[in-house]
Amino acid sequence: MRIAVDRRRCEGHGLCEGQAPEVFTLDDEGEVQSPFFEADLPGELTGPADRGVSACPVAALSLVG
Amino acid sequence: MTTTTPVPTYDEDIYADEALLEPYEHYRRLRNLGPAVWLEKHGAYAVTRYADVRAVLADGDTFRSANGIALNEPANSAILGCTLASDGELHAHLRQVVAHRLTPRSLRPMKEQVTEAADALVAQLVQRGSFDAVADLARALPLSIVPDFIGWPQEGREHLLRWAGANFDSFGPVNERVEKALPQCGEMAAFGAEIVRTGNVLPGSLGASVLEARDRGEVTTEQTMMLMLDYLAPSLDTTISAVGSAIWLFGEHPDQWDRIREDPKLIPNAVNEVVRYESPISSFGRLVERDTEIDGVPVAAGSRVVVSYASANRDERKWADPEVFDVTRKDAVHQLGFGYGEHGCAGQALARMETESILTALARSVTRFELGTPERALNNLIRALGSLPVTVHTAG
Repeated sequence: MRIAVDRRRCEGHGLCEGQAPEVFTLDDEGEVQSPFFEADLPGELTGPADRGVSACPVAALSLVG
Repeated sequence: MTTTTPVPTYDEDIYADEALLEPYEHYRRLRNLGPAVWLEKHGAYAVTRYADVRAVLADGDTFRSANGIALNEPANSAILGCTLASDGELHAHLRQVVAHRLTPRSLRPMKEQVTEAADALVAQLVQRGSFDAVADLARALPLSIVPDFIGWPQEGREHLLRWAGANFDSFGPVNERVEKALPQCGEMAAFGAEIVRTGNVLPGSLGASVLEARDRGEVTTEQTMMLMLDYLAPSLDTTISAVGSAIWLFGEHPDQWDRIREDPKLIPNAVNEVVRYESPISSFGRLVERDTEIDGVPVAAGSRVVVSYASANRDERKWADPEVFDVTRKDAVHQLGFGYGEHGCAGQALARMETESILTALARSVTRFELGTPERALNNLIRALGSLPVTVHTAG
């Protein structure tokens, strides 16, 4: 399972990072970054990833696969 | 579309004064009736359960905002083409013209200014001891920040609160409040058009950047007029509601204020909980684009839907003890008070910043809020106090 991000929709509200800093970080440009946009989520991070995804106020994040 | 499934109906006026004063029992009954309930008085389906509200907001292709936000035609026509009332590519385009100025990163330089304004305001009110938490605090901070940020000229500011309230009132079903509001919305639109015509906005402001986007040909002059109001109109009443409700809730629940004082890091979550518990905007409408179902209830193309954030935020199916105000609530971030999805509130970072700054400043010195008798300000969409006398007690 990976995380998909809709870059056009993301506005850098950062609520994902607030919920799951081990999965999401906002870079200096306010862009959300995650190793799991490219790589599979390890099982122990699916819970935090889901919390971060569901906290996104503009539905820019989703879990895929 | 023909169907044999009976659709539950509800015959009470949920926009009557009594319902606006005590809405939550209506919402509970609507949630229990079904996923989509036909509101006989208003000619629309109410969507009131958390999962359904979230699903509707996530499906902008089926549930359209153009001609859909308000429960009456004149208001829908008046706002057609603004960001709030547009869809798909047009909406995404209009939104990015303004939203890039509202992102948390863009707002970083504002943080110091908002913090200083909140600190100074709170220090002055704490010294006074007794004040009106709505007029003197909840209204004072946004009015000292937002008009400058948007670049609104000094002349005309005296109308802002009245216009902003009328804007939300106008979205209701045809009732006295709508009739009174529509001419005032016209005044606001005319003023916004005049600003665009004369270019009379503060340099460096959000309004100035919208005019620059027009000059670059990114938006038309007509769209620019809409954009001038798009972010001003919703930026005042909403934050004012949240701050007023916060003081009221912390006055009623001193144990929750103790939690905040013990651990100010809870403040961002507390803001989510305030917005969950007393959602500033009760609902927005949508227009159904094609025959669909809402959680099994068939809804025909052309139907109106009232998407109730305030009910979703109290849904027993989603929340443990939804009637309990709990600043440590683990999933408070899931509240839908700012909406959700492509139309999710673009100004929420600024709203959060303002509200958090006020609570942070208060938490440093105020130990108790002693409440007088609150008065509600009735509005078709905004749930807010109009007045809240309070006496603050301090440790020293």
